Amino acid sequence: MSVKIGIPRGLWFYDYFPLWKTFYEELGAEIIFSDKTNKQILDQGVKNCVDEACLPVKLFHGHVINLKDKVDYIFVPKMMSVYKDEYICPKFCGLPEMVNHSIKGLPPLIDTEINFSKSRKSLMITAYRFGSYVTKNPIKIRRAFNNALMAYRKYREDVKDGKLPIDGEFSPKKPSVVANNSKSIAVVGHTYHLYDSYGSMSILQKLRDSKVSVIVPEMMNMNKINKLASTLEKKMFWSYGRKLLGAALHFGESREIDGIIYISSFGCGIDSIVEDLFERWSRSHSIPFLLLTIDEHTGEAGINTRLEAFLDMIDWRVNHESDLSPHG
Amino acid sequence: MENCYLGIDVGSVSTNVVLMNDQNKILGKVYTATQGKPIDAVKRGLKEISGQIKGDIQVKGVATTGSGRHLASMIVGADVVKNEITAHGIAALNFVKGVRTIFEIGGQDSKIILLKDGIISDFAMNTVCAAGTGSFLDRQAARLGIDISEFGQQALTSKNPVRVAGRCAVFAESDMIHKQQLGHNQEDIIKGLCDALVRNFLNNLGKGKDLAGPIVFQGGVAANAGIKKSFEEALNQEIFVPPHHEVMGAIGCCLLAKEHAAKKNNTNFQGFEIMNSGYEVRGMECEDCSNLCEVVEIIRDGILMSRWGDKCGKWSNQVKSDVEKLA
Repeated sequence: MSVKIGIPRGLWFYDYFPLWKTFYEELGAEIIFSDKTNKQILDQGVKNCVDEACLPVKLFHGHVINLKDKVDYIFVPKMMSVYKDEYICPKFCGLPEMVNHSIKGLPPLIDTEINFSKSRKSLMITAYRFGSYVTKNPIKIRRAFNNALMAYRKYREDVKDGKLPIDGEFSPKKPSVVANNSKSIAVVGHTYHLYDSYGSMSILQKLRDSKVSVIVPEMMNMNKINKLASTLEKKMFWSYGRKLLGAALHFGESREIDGIIYISSFGCGIDSIVEDLFERWSRSHSIPFLLLTIDEHTGEAGINTRLEAFLDMIDWRVNHESDLSPHG
Repeated sequence: MENCYLGIDVGSVSTNVVLMNDQNKILGKVYTATQGKPIDAVKRGLKEISGQIKGDIQVKGVATTGSGRHLASMIVGADVVKNEITAHGIAALNFVKGVRTIFEIGGQDSKIILLKDGIISDFAMNTVCAAGTGSFLDRQAARLGIDISEFGQQALTSKNPVRVAGRCAVFAESDMIHKQQLGHNQEDIIKGLCDALVRNFLNNLGKGKDLAGPIVFQGGVAANAGIKKSFEEALNQEIFVPPHHEVMGAIGCCLLAKEHAAKKNNTNFQGFEIMNSGYEVRGMECEDCSNLCEVVEIIRDGILMSRWGDKCGKWSNQVKSDVEKLA
């Protein structure tokens, strides 16, 4: 009987799932993802989470509940820091505790700490700790981890190539026929907003349906983004925020996009700063900017209206620039 | 026979219908309460507007806007379905030359639209909170026991406005109650509320934006002279309220319909007779997956017209209809 490990389809899932899936499968475990976000997961998450958490954290709780009775372990690592001198949102740091105290009757959690804020020297030790839930054989773990890294790199390349991991499944590559004059719009935000189609009300799909070519931060050259982000006056020590600000600087510089849509969830502490800076910079480069705030709403009218108006505005601008104003 | 264009704006609080001719002249306008029954409101609007028409007209195009635009489009057979922001922008541009900034406050929405060289350059809408919109004012007027139409005039008589918290409607209300218990004059409290709403609007939506004049204030709340005055005081410049401010969305629709008719000379308009049709709405919760979508069916005279609300499209695709993509 192989060990069954459940991975909740939320938060860091969209950044790392191929790494962890490959790692545990190489070790002989069976991996089960929670279902794609749906109404039941949302309802359960909202009911079983502290009130003031943001929507993605609530959804994560829902995903954990979804896995509860199906697996031997649930994978909820304690993500403190992934890059040197950088941190992830405090809710990520306390996630295993939060989940454990909010939900009763859980199977054991794989809550190993990931902390590379000082250095990455502990990388293999961390990998060993994660692997030890399945096997105690360090050689096997090392081999599995190397294979997992390969899968992870391939995943990153694929996303960079324009495949969007919506709900953790690759959408067909860029729409095959993209008209020459189609708009390209950067959709920025944390990965768990962008790729969760239920939580984000399918914004990416809606844009693609409107023949917009979508650019996400993950498609960009990370070295360049890191370089630009390091020009900031003060180091942005939230990893997600740093990536977004680097992307903002890049868009302002390159001017290759027609507009920016920022997806944020209500009550996000990091976004309260990052979003505002992003908006100011976009405006100073006169790039059209739209902020979409998501919460528990299921009525899509508000989001649709804003999207439509935003696309109209960009069309109008483009037409105006070529002196073909369609309006009086 | 005069060519006419019909614009319908189905909002959360009011449903507006405007009929306009080729010379952009308003032949008739109706402002009626939606009261949570958009279908009835559209039918009532059509009935009233057809009563206002003198002479022989032909409807060459129809456009709908507002949060109920898809529903309205399905009922009347619209040629254009447009979001409120574009509709309001177009209307303001055509009626106030050189407008740079539009404030629009409706029942549940408030928006700010910036224009540059005659095109929309930026906009913002209230986010998750509807504090400071028309329905909140309605409620407060009802609580104070005065009619909403007198609300603005009362504010103008205030000599010593009190400060009311404006960040959140719930806080504003409790702050107001507290000020009432202290014995402040009603008009001072009302003016304080107007100031608070304006402060909230400018902080929330106007944040970081260059609010250049001429500024146009439209939407139902523009009828409120108190709010207009508070805006003028806060921004230190004149605020222009167009004569048909409450139906500007519908006017924008008329202009869009006219533009559409100029390009394509046929309309989907079902005729004014549809106001006599019986509409029925059926709702159900689809239990085929854990999304439990709330599916709505619209039935006209016993015939299924449309379905929407399902995420997977299983139900809506079964009905061949123009309005598959519904919010």
